[in-house]
Parts: sequence; structure tokens; C-alpha cells
Amino acid sequence: MIFNTPLFYFFFLIFIFFYGFVFLRQKPRVYLILVASLVFYGAWNYRFIPLLVGSAVADYFIAQAIGASTDPRVRKRWMALSLAINLGILGLFKYADFVIASVADFLRLFGYSADPQTLGLVLPVGISFYTFQSLSYTIDVYRGDMEPRKGLVEFTAALAFFPQLVAGPILRAQQILPQMHSIPVPTWSNAKHGFLLITTGVLKKTTADLLAAPAAKAFDSAGSVSLIETWTGVLAFAGQIYGDFSGYTDMAIGLALLLGFQIPLNFRVPYLAVSPVDFWRRWHISLSTWLRDYLYISLGGNRNHRRFRNVMITMLLGGLWHGAAWTFVVWGAFHGLIISATHVLGQMKALAPFIHGNSESDETPAKWVTFVKWLTTFYLVLIGWVLFRATSLASAIDILADMHGFGGALPAAGSVAGTILALTAGTVTFMHLMDLFVLKRAEAFENKPWLFWPVLILIHAICLLIGEPSNEFIYFQF
Amino acid sequence: MSSSTSSSKVYLKIFLAVTLGMGAALVLVRLFAWANDASGDTILSRVNEARQALPQIVEEPDDLVMAFGSSMTHAGFASRHFDNEVAKQGVRVKSFNFGFGGLNPFFQDYLSRRIRDAFQEKDRRLKLAMIEFVPFQATGNRWQGAQPVVDSFLTMLASPEEIWEITKEDPERGFQMLNILYLRDGISAEMVTHFFGRSLMEREPRSDTPEDEEAVKRRRELGDRLGELFEAEFPDYEDQDWYYPWQGAGPLREERSEETLTIFPQYYEAGRTQRRMENDRLNRISCCDIEELQFEEELVAGFIRVVENFKDFSDHVEVVLYPRNTKWIDYSPEAQQRLDEVLDRIRRETGVTIRNYQLLESITPDMYSDTTHLGRYVGEMVFTEHLAKEYAPLLADGN
Repeated sequence: MIFNTPLFYFFFLIFIFFYGFVFLRQKPRVYLILVASLVFYGAWNYRFIPLLVGSAVADYFIAQAIGASTDPRVRKRWMALSLAINLGILGLFKYADFVIASVADFLRLFGYSADPQTLGLVLPVGISFYTFQSLSYTIDVYRGDMEPRKGLVEFTAALAFFPQLVAGPILRAQQILPQMHSIPVPTWSNAKHGFLLITTGVLKKTTADLLAAPAAKAFDSAGSVSLIETWTGVLAFAGQIYGDFSGYTDMAIGLALLLGFQIPLNFRVPYLAVSPVDFWRRWHISLSTWLRDYLYISLGGNRNHRRFRNVMITMLLGGLWHGAAWTFVVWGAFHGLIISATHVLGQMKALAPFIHGNSESDETPAKWVTFVKWLTTFYLVLIGWVLFRATSLASAIDILADMHGFGGALPAAGSVAGTILALTAGTVTFMHLMDLFVLKRAEAFENKPWLFWPVLILIHAICLLIGEPSNEFIYFQF
Repeated sequence: MSSSTSSSKVYLKIFLAVTLGMGAALVLVRLFAWANDASGDTILSRVNEARQALPQIVEEPDDLVMAFGSSMTHAGFASRHFDNEVAKQGVRVKSFNFGFGGLNPFFQDYLSRRIRDAFQEKDRRLKLAMIEFVPFQATGNRWQGAQPVVDSFLTMLASPEEIWEITKEDPERGFQMLNILYLRDGISAEMVTHFFGRSLMEREPRSDTPEDEEAVKRRRELGDRLGELFEAEFPDYEDQDWYYPWQGAGPLREERSEETLTIFPQYYEAGRTQRRMENDRLNRISCCDIEELQFEEELVAGFIRVVENFKDFSDHVEVVLYPRNTKWIDYSPEAQQRLDEVLDRIRRETGVTIRNYQLLESITPDMYSDTTHLGRYVGEMVFTEHLAKEYAPLLADGN
């Protein structure tokens, strides 16, 4: 069930009716959230509901067992079981075929004939999100960062909470469980902000769908396309994935606000980042902080002179989290490298002020310095998106070569290529301006009802009028 | 104020904002469509009018014949002329032109089910169904080009039961279609996007030949004169795309003035300038792969379903290929082979006779209005007479 479709609208209307007027007490509301979330999830494939519920039940009881024991070995064993269950499910559904095919390819390199049977399992939507979310709970309890909580239904409802179930943000148990235990009544002010976020999310998603065509031209065409169309395609994909994913999370946060729940920000104008490290502080924040807290720090973080190794492992696995393909692995590795390079350059005395800003003197870096840093970062991010979007590594290399003029002669650009490039660049800029507006001016805007509601209605009308509302969100596949 | 009261108050506001806000947004969408004269009725007006005529058609006392197909059938089959021609051989039938532009076999499948419903409801049968197979309407390019209108057209052509079946199978798509049908007056978002996005699409290849401006001017003048003559000759004509008194085709030669009949060939000739014909051909290559014919399985299968649907309520069903303008449209050897294979498959799977008139000698290039359509009172008459001659014995057999 996709947010910007009539089916979801119908679903949400029924849900809000029961949630707001019929089930007024805490417990029935939690049950309602759980049932609605399972219906929402089951709309894709009801066969995977037991997997979701099973994952929740297992982690709930494992967390209880960890909390009940003081013996570190016993706690460790329970933690290992939670890891095995969650990563096992993820591995089986998401990575088994990839591993089998990769081993076969590897054997073929050495002349062995291998024609293995892949499992061909359907990937349950949102599996990467809810397994990480569930895992964070057992890890937090194991680390002693939180006490195990009573209430299996509450825990399952929190894990399955439909606004963020299939594409995040990845919530920590500490963020969502207390709210699920005592569901807050939304204030009208929060609700208005929710409506604003839903509207910007729908607009971003609609815009992202429109960017799919120029992106596909660069990435899916049988042969090469012109230089300008290649760059347009890469820029369009940057806009598409941002609009698609941040649009989804805007809607998720907005919907949650209408129900009284607070979900933290997942994007903060990421293409304004001025370094790769800065980019990951702004892009898919719930995943980057998850990887930082549960993987990078567990590996030792910045200590032991193993920062490079730890960054690389974290980013490689972060890449793999997105999908079972070598393109994602290389994408992760690429980001690991540029993050590490940023650290290395930052340690050089001559470059430190350029990389970090001159924090000692509190001087604002010169505008041209910031601009160069932004441009370099955005360029690197675009290179990364080529690896992310390409259908294979060979295709990624071809596109990268075409972008930089190493791919041989390219066809001439079409007559409207310049217009499409300008529109694409304008669209990506517009998305960020909209985000900046929401971050900085939302409150003032929300307090002008004569302007607020007509603008929201107009945006929804535009989004209803155009677009391709049946297009799934890209991150659903992860 | 208790907390539950304040909670209900907030939720009432939220509920109202959701319903009224979305209602207002939908009103704006409808207003936009209305201002642009876009609705299901205007987009498929000929199809809708023909469907509305079905209850009257099934009540006709004579044996019924239907020429079903594309705009080539619309342009190339003169219903009443056909009736008159077969009557000369002692066969009394009433035929109808069910040729519709813009409907590929996937959509034709749904339309033919509606025709079947109307006939079966009255326990009536068609004496003969001549179903046109248009090779270039069944290609991958054609299918790709139709994607933005699939759901919108389906809401207009599918029955409520069929939409319900789709909803059960894929609730998201079903709700989308119900939304298009009941709230958006047949106009989907994809359709609007495609319409406005056309200006951003790569321009189709165009002919380098300079336009014969003299011919363009002459065509415009002749067109204007034809318009005036039409109004004078048919003062009572109701402006309809599918006109019952003419049985879905155009008026007969004998109903037109001598001046009209003199002007028509001149009008078509003035329209067949080198540049215009080259552009028309290039457009057909681009939109429909007309010379290579890479067929799309969905459309070929759709055509087979059309034939099967007609078999359910017709005494005779045959597949007809209309003449091809060989001066402009050439098949590559591979395309010809692909076409032969598809025709074999249709013959094999449906068991019907296929009459291939693509290379009919009596039709010459000057009988077309463009690279594909026969011209009114020119190719239309000759081809209709040919069909009458061919089918009269079959129709007489059953009398």
C-alpha cells in the first residue's frame, strides 16, 4: 500500500475514524495500530506477516531473557540468538541467492563449471528496516542502555507501526516504545506540521517519479547517450532517489504526527553537504546513526588506529544493506573511501582548516571554500549514485567513462536535452529549497491558516493531477 | 475539558482536514479537466456513442454484420454501401462500422466483451464479424505508447465486474481505477502527465523535404469548402462521432453533391504532399514500428481474445487485413516473416479464416488519404465493394 494512492487514503480515513473516535483508550488503540499495520503490510504480501510478527515475538522474549539474566555468558548467548535470527532471516531472503550466484561466478573464474540452483525467494518488503529496528532493541537491552519492556503487543505494534514500517526511518526502541506505551494526543500544532510534511512528501514523491524517465534514459538505454543526457540522467537519479526516499519519510513522519507520535528527522538537506562525512550526517540519518552506534562503535570506532578499517567495514555493510548486488557493495566501499580520505586530509595541517573549517579561530570559511567543498562533495555523491543505480558494475563503469569523456564518441544530444537538464537541476534545487523552508519557516507558515491550507490543497491538487501514483518507492526493495 | 474530549476535538479537526482538504483538491482537479474539455466522454466519444447504440443495433430486424477494428476500418468500410452492394446479390443485411482510432487489441478486447454482453443479453447473434487485424497496432512500440492511458481506458471499457476482479487481484490498482472512474471522470494522472510531458519528449524525426506551400494552401481552401458543403448537404446532422443513421461510417456518394465528389479526390491529393507523407511514415515508424513489426505478446494475445469474444455471438467470424499503402510502407523481410508467423498463430489458435488484402491490386496509392488510411469516396468505396463481393456468397449461404 503506497502512501500517495487512493487505497491508502481510504485505509487511513477508516483508520483515523476508529483511532480518533472509537478506540479512545490506550490498549485498544495499540491493538488497532497493530491490526492496521498488519493489514497495511499484508496488502503487499500477507504471507510475510508471520515473518514480521515472528521476528517481533522472538526479539521480545530474547530481550526479556537478556534482561532477566546477570550472567554475561547467558546474556551473550541470547544476544547471539537474536543476531542469528534477524541476520539469518535477512540473509536467507535477501542475500542467499546473491551469495550462491557469486560463489558460482568465482568458481567459474577458475574454470570450474557451476550451475547452482538459486532459492528464488521473494524479498519481503521492508525486511531490512524492521530487522534492524528489532535488532536495535535487543542490542540496547544487552548493552544495558535500556530495560526490557513489558507488553508484547506494544512491542509488536511499535515494530510494525505502519507509517514507518516499510521504508523507515529506522526507529530505536527507546524512541518508539515509550510513545507506544502511552500514546500521546497530538496537538493541533503538531497535526498541522504533520499535514505540511505529508504534503511536501507527496510533492517530492510526485517530482521524483517525473525524474525517473531522464534517469532511465542514462541508465537503462541499450547504448550510450549524449554527454549532456548522461549527466542529466545521473542528476535526475540523485533527485529521484532523494525525492522518493525523503518524500516517503516526510509522509511517514507527518502521518505519525497526526497519530500523536514523534519520529525523528531522517534527512537534512543532504545535497548541501560540504564533505562526505557531512553527507552521511544528513542522508538517511536513522541508518547512518544505526550503523555508527551498533556497528562502527562495536568495531572500535575511532580507536585502536583502526578507523580506516572500521569505516570501510561499516560502509561496505551499509552498501550491502541496500541490496544484494556488487554495485551496492562497491557503492558502500566508495563512500567508505571518500569518508576515510576526508579524515586523512583533515589530519593534514595544511588542509585541516579547509576540510573542517577554521574552528579554532571561529572564522567562517570563505564562501568560495564552502562552494568548492560543496561542489566536490556533490560531485562525489553523484559518482556514488552511478554505482548505486547502474544495473551492473560494467554498466556503471561505462556511464562513469561517458560522464568524463573517456567512453569514446557519444551520440549528439537531442533537441530538448538542454531543457531537460535545466528542469532536472531546477527540480533538485526546488526539493532542497522546500526542505529548507520546512526546516526554517514552517512554524510561521503554519500560523497563517489563510495561506497554509490553500497552498496545501493546491499542492495536493497538482500531485493528484500529474505523476504516476502507482510507482512504488525505491527503498521498498531494500 | 476532559482529555478524551480534547483528543476527540483534535481528531475531528484532523478528520475534517483530511476529507475536506482532499475533497477540495479533487474539485480543483475536476475543474482543471473541465476547463480543458477533458473527460472520459470526450476522449473515447466515438466508442461511447457506438456502445450507446448497441441496444438499438441488437433490435434491428435484418441480419447483422459488423466491421470491427481501428481507424483504418473507420475510414475504409462504408457500411451502407456494403449493404447496398450485397443487396444487389440478393442478400439483405445491415452492417455497422465499429472502427475506432486509438484502441489497440488490448482495449479492443474489453470493447468486444461489451458488444458481446449487449448481443447476449438480447440473445441476438451477428451474422458476420469482420475483425480487422492491424499489424502495426500490435507492436511493442504501440504498447509502450499506450501505457499512460491503460488504466484510464480500462475504467471506461471494463465492466464493473471486471474492475472488481482487478480490485480483488490488486487492490491498489483497483482503487486507482475506481478513483479514475468515479472521482476523476476518466482522466488519470498518468494521462495528464503524458499529455503535458509530450513537449519535453524528443522530437520525432521529420522529413527534410520542403513543404509544398501551394498544396497546403489548396488543401486548406478545399477543406473549408468541403465543410461548407457538408453543412449545406446535411443540415439536420447531429454532431456525433458515431452516427446511427450512417451506421457508424460516413455518408454515401449518392447523398453528396457533384461538387463534393469532385473536390474530395483533389482534397486528398493536395494533402499527399511529399513532406506530409514522409512525416506520416516517420511518425508511424516511431509510434508503431510499422516497417519492422516487433510484435508485443500482450497485444497479439489481446487480438486473439477479441476473435474469441466475437465467436461467442457470431455465426461467422473472419479476420481481415486492410490494404497497405505499398508506395509508402514497406516491410523488411524479417517483418514479413514475423507477420506471417503471427497470422499463422491467430489462424491456429482461433480457427478462423484470415483474408489478407494488404496487397489488393484494385487499391492504388492515390486512393489513400495518408500512408495508412483509405480516402473517403476513393479507396473506401473500392474496398467496401471488394468486401461485398467477397462476402456476399458467405452471407447468402445462411439466408
